[in-house]
Amino acid sequence: MSLSIFNARLLDPASGTDEVGAILIEEGCITAISPGATGAHKGASETLDAGGLCLAPGLIDLRVKTGEPGDEQKETLATASRAAVAGGVTSLVVMPDTKPVVDDVALVRYISDRAKVSAKARIYAAGALTTGLEGKAMAEIGLMADAGAVLFTNGDAPIGDPSILKRAMTYAASRGAIVMSRPDDNALKGSGVMNAGAFAARKGLSGIPKEAEWIGAARDLMLAEATGCTLILDQVSTPRTLELVADSRARGASVFTTIAAHSLFFNELDVGDYLTYCKVNPPFRDEDTRLAMIAALKAGEIDAVVSAHDPQPPEEKRLPFGEASFGAAGLETTLSALLSLVHDGPLTLLEALAPLTSRPADMIGLPEGRLSEGTPADFILFDPNKPWLCEREHLLSRSTNSPFDGRRLQGRVLKTFVGGEQVFAR
Amino acid sequence: MSKAAIHYSFDHEHLLGIDGLHPLDLTHILDLANDYAEATRSGKRADPVLSGKTVVNLFFENSTRTMSSFEIAARRLGADVVSMPVAQSSVKKGETLIDTAMTLNAMKPDVLVVRHSASGGAKLLSRKVDCAVINAGDGTHEHPTQGLLDTLTIRRNKGRVEGLKVVICGDIVHSRVARSTTLALHLLGAEVHLCAPSTLMPSGTETWGAASATSDFDAALEGADVVMMLRLQLERMDGAYLPSRREYFRYFGLTEERLNHAKADAIVMHPGPMNRGIEIESAIADGERSVITEQVEMGVAVREAVLHLLAGGRP
Repeated sequence: MSLSIFNARLLDPASGTDEVGAILIEEGCITAISPGATGAHKGASETLDAGGLCLAPGLIDLRVKTGEPGDEQKETLATASRAAVAGGVTSLVVMPDTKPVVDDVALVRYISDRAKVSAKARIYAAGALTTGLEGKAMAEIGLMADAGAVLFTNGDAPIGDPSILKRAMTYAASRGAIVMSRPDDNALKGSGVMNAGAFAARKGLSGIPKEAEWIGAARDLMLAEATGCTLILDQVSTPRTLELVADSRARGASVFTTIAAHSLFFNELDVGDYLTYCKVNPPFRDEDTRLAMIAALKAGEIDAVVSAHDPQPPEEKRLPFGEASFGAAGLETTLSALLSLVHDGPLTLLEALAPLTSRPADMIGLPEGRLSEGTPADFILFDPNKPWLCEREHLLSRSTNSPFDGRRLQGRVLKTFVGGEQVFAR
Repeated sequence: MSKAAIHYSFDHEHLLGIDGLHPLDLTHILDLANDYAEATRSGKRADPVLSGKTVVNLFFENSTRTMSSFEIAARRLGADVVSMPVAQSSVKKGETLIDTAMTLNAMKPDVLVVRHSASGGAKLLSRKVDCAVINAGDGTHEHPTQGLLDTLTIRRNKGRVEGLKVVICGDIVHSRVARSTTLALHLLGAEVHLCAPSTLMPSGTETWGAASATSDFDAALEGADVVMMLRLQLERMDGAYLPSRREYFRYFGLTEERLNHAKADAIVMHPGPMNRGIEIESAIADGERSVITEQVEMGVAVREAVLHLLAGGRP
């Protein structure tokens, strides 16, 4: 059983390939890549004419929340993976802030077992850095890593006590585990609900100041330097945070950064008349900051783009802005959000795809995220120009709290393959 | 240009804020309110333009003053009024703002007057109901009828709004009154100066139309025509935003001596309820330059005008 897909525009950020050609898939893996080939591979038992569509590695998403276990009314692993493959995401890392918290081996195994029977995409568990995410006692980092947890995080609430974080990072480093932290100073963030500034003041909403991110980032970066632990700064939102990262890297720290796709698309004014779908943390910043972050992404100063998928049902969002939950559904719009930056000019297709594929894969050591011989055949066929209207009623996530609701987008996934199997087509 | 010449009509479905209103809208509301004020003073009964209409006062925060003012205004126009201080009722049992709104909407009121502790509460409600919504204060966002009554009080006392120097002093950052009043006065051409301790001054007040933002009260008062003091919540004075009550009074309290910086004929305003001896001396609050009780009187007149325009047909 072999499949040759030909007449495809092969896009592989890892190798820099951008050329029409063919790929051959056997036994769930890519076994031949032939840029420049005009037809299918000889001897393939099946062939597929891609009709000139783009063929790229499936997206690797390092930050996805579901509600399984505990909040299945928000999202299950099955519904999240259904939304993921529709958005071109073939590997996703699910956060540990579930009920119960994923803070021991049994729960890591539960996630991978449930994913095997119910999910179409590859699902990796992130383990809790502290038991119950309480920020007090270190969780079983080594045992969870052995069971398959790919990184460790305290979720949305940073550990308050730096001595506990330092010990957890020291220990994680000795086990070769990666720590991901959301840089925030809890006290400075306070009761803030959107970007601090004139617009928040005029709307009578309390602001989240950028200093909260800077102070949180500075602390985490210095602890990464001191402990030698590999650190992922989760969803950075300002250029100054990247300056802090560059400084730490120059001092030898092993640090990566991610940014949420929606932060590259929206600014604070999109909150408009209290639209709770635009309530996220970190908040949508001012337009100058958004543009600076796009420039930083182009310059390679941001390593990965995440969906920050955070499903919230209507009862969490149909509330006054200050009372609504943070979080936006994002799995189905990440690629389109990045393609908008290609259409608007700043990014090339390969620059848009690299932080969605090979770079996040390399950060946590996954074999996926590239088109190369011997790697799992996880890839997407997409039309970068296809216009579509994002309507929440048509999203596949169980919760459809998307800030893109009602937006016209350009570029969409048409087919998704995981392990050589077609798992989605539209 | 006369209103007729540009085919003016008040075509707003709700009154959620001063933001979004045109200066002509303001003038129109104020003219009508002034008629109502004069009618009341001369003992005339208003036409029952809201006869057969139902006005529901939905107050998620307690405010006897504002709720009574709306109730009196609606009754003067012949409406049936139901006042619901929800702060004590079903919302405590976990019912959300939207659930409450949908329930009330099913009872087909003509006007919902809503006060809510969350900024944007009135806007959210207006999306879910079929009737007119009047924002009677939403969090730290807006309190449009207060902005209107302040503006009317100033216009009556000064004969105009344009070109006046107005100083608003107090807890600006938490004040919906400061936002609505600044927006309204700016739309009609007044020069509004905001004054607060730096911890209680938000950024970007120029986007509301404020001419300046300062923490030097004496300098701000120079040549002022109108001085408006805001209520300072006592809990903000315990060291979190300010060192102490007496330090606040020292720098931001309105005293006779300080008032001398303003024009001799300056008027003094306060949206109430007052903290006497903290933001304002009793002698000034009760003195001849104070128009604080007239503000309360104009509150009813402005609410009559707004109810009339939203639910009573063309005046």
